[in-house]
Amino acid sequence: MPPRMPRTCSAMPDPVVLAADHLWGFLTALRGAGLPTAPTKRADLLRTIAETSPPDLTALYWYARITLLQDVSDLPAFDRVFDAWFRQGGPGPADPPLEADDGGARSPGGPGEDDPPPRDARPGDGAEAAALSVHHTRDFGRTGEHRTALMRALEAAWPAVLPAVPSRRRRPARSGDRLDVRHAWRRALRHDGEIIQLRRLARPPRPRRLLILIDVSGSLRQHTPDLLRAAHTALRAAPARTEVFTFGTRLTRITAALARPHADQALRAVSSLVTDADGGTAIGAALECFLGNPRFVALARGALVIVLSDGLERGDHAPMVRATARLSRLGHRLVWWSPLACSPTYRPVTRAMAAQLASLDHLGGVRDLRTALEEVRRLPAVLSGPRHLAARRWSVPRPRGTTR
Amino acid sequence: MTTDGAGLLRERELAAALEAQGYFADEGLCTAIHLALRLGRPLLLEGEPGVGKTEVASVLSRVTGLDLIRLQCFEGLDSGQALYEWDYPKQLLQVRVAESRGQDVGDLYREEFLLRRPLLRAVRAEQGAVLLIDEIDRADSEFEAFLLEFLGDFQITIPELGTVRARTPPIVVLTSNRTRELHDALKRRCLYHWIAFPEPDRERAILRMAVPGLAEQAAAGLVGAVRRVRRLPLLKRPGIAESVEWGRGAMALAEGGSPWPVALRRALGLLIKDEEDTRLLLAHADEVFGDAPAHAEDVFGDA
Repeated sequence: MPPRMPRTCSAMPDPVVLAADHLWGFLTALRGAGLPTAPTKRADLLRTIAETSPPDLTALYWYARITLLQDVSDLPAFDRVFDAWFRQGGPGPADPPLEADDGGARSPGGPGEDDPPPRDARPGDGAEAAALSVHHTRDFGRTGEHRTALMRALEAAWPAVLPAVPSRRRRPARSGDRLDVRHAWRRALRHDGEIIQLRRLARPPRPRRLLILIDVSGSLRQHTPDLLRAAHTALRAAPARTEVFTFGTRLTRITAALARPHADQALRAVSSLVTDADGGTAIGAALECFLGNPRFVALARGALVIVLSDGLERGDHAPMVRATARLSRLGHRLVWWSPLACSPTYRPVTRAMAAQLASLDHLGGVRDLRTALEEVRRLPAVLSGPRHLAARRWSVPRPRGTTR
Repeated sequence: MTTDGAGLLRERELAAALEAQGYFADEGLCTAIHLALRLGRPLLLEGEPGVGKTEVASVLSRVTGLDLIRLQCFEGLDSGQALYEWDYPKQLLQVRVAESRGQDVGDLYREEFLLRRPLLRAVRAEQGAVLLIDEIDRADSEFEAFLLEFLGDFQITIPELGTVRARTPPIVVLTSNRTRELHDALKRRCLYHWIAFPEPDRERAILRMAVPGLAEQAAAGLVGAVRRVRRLPLLKRPGIAESVEWGRGAMALAEGGSPWPVALRRALGLLIKDEEDTRLLLAHADEVFGDAPAHAEDVFGDA
């Protein structure tokens, strides 16, 4: 045991106590920065430090990061707090912060502070397009009586049209491809080892994921509330299998906010979350941001993807076309619903729309709940037919450079 | 744990032991493994595909001399495949045998009728074991619940038998590709480390070790090229595994007489495995392959 250092001044507090206070302050600051650490994790850190005191600051950094951190997306915030408490603005950690794995930084003082949204629906889950972004929220209004009836019809229509795949988990069934040996054995025990009845196991159908991407930019201003309401009915019909995002100049995951049972409550929650409503359009950038996040890509894989947008892209349309093509490859079917397509004279001839038509399985017109209901009822035909039929159906001159 | 085990508790020796097995870990990963061994906690590794997450478990098993038990996760994985299952046909036969001999059936829920799946095997290993739970994000999120008791206390409760506790806690490594978010309850029980792409020096060391005969300068050029490729907006950025494969492929082509820059381009299919990415890369070919040595003598080192 090392000899105890003589105290220079009796009023000076014990350095050990000081260090402990400092550490405690650090842990409290982490919680303040939105990184709650479980007591077991804190105990791990303290145990580690007590057993081997870290030789230098880098070692302390790694001790703290490995015991406390739970998710790589929390890393920038963790580094900030660590720097503030131990490095005082000194050089950053040895590891460079990760590149754009989870989108950019959180929007400062993001919306919905008073009503902390669930983790999944963090505001600012996306990149911000610099030039066009505006930050304001919007009240989406109330749902009237006539809309409620349509929404009820929509909610009833969704389950029947959602595509299904055989589930991986087997369940008892009258006729199945496998014997339930476990069940047979349990029943046999009751009958002195005699197998009287055999039960079979089958793979029941499991609905595919439904991914809805809603354009909230200014050009769709009058349709946005109804499009959100349509998405709300889908969420109510298949809560566990539906994901909803909005995009204008940024990408926002609104599944959790929109999942509130009452439509008006859900829309209010969404309006506090979506800060780019009625702003500019950056469809390509928003879709690229979506596809750049592996967790989001996992939501699109094998899913029925529905994009609600007019497809009016400013500037270069190449990123949007590329992103649509990838989305189409990832998903089971890619359906594009545009308010413009409701008009009988509409032809997808804007350069962006014409170029991406080859990737779409269906291009339909949806501008309100009534047209949404019509399109939902049209989905089974889209889902059962071959892929990439949109181009043939709209029979426009084939855009140059595409093969399909 | 073997006598090596005590030595591994010291951080520097751990790094040396890993390196002796051909695994070059940076400081963060070393600390993570070291803490996992010392605190006896499962280690959850996340990172881009191909940065050597799975390899950590197999190198740990070689270093400690313990058996590697692997559980590959997939959608629909259930407790019967991961923890244990009763051997029902065997139990039925036992009933029949007892009946024909006129004996008492006895207890049918005995150890001998238990099929040990990976987690139970890890708990039952006398000397301890290295358990790899690979790609946990591929399993349904419900499956994580089955893991909680095991990860927290290294024990499994079998209703008919009671609780089975590990005599020697296994070393547990979980990997995830982050295709979905894991539950907090699971993360709380684990130490967490994100494996980033390696720094140039470390990747060069890995390449030199994995591709025998590759000269220092060529290795540096290769690493530089791979780093520039990773900066492009690709669908799938190449990991260490891909850059090693690329080095090996280019080496084989160069031995066959191709000039090195040509060999690099011809072996590109080992680095990039997506048509769109290949096209993007070829559009940036000049800046990516800019400094590849042109002469064969610069490529081959002393093997």
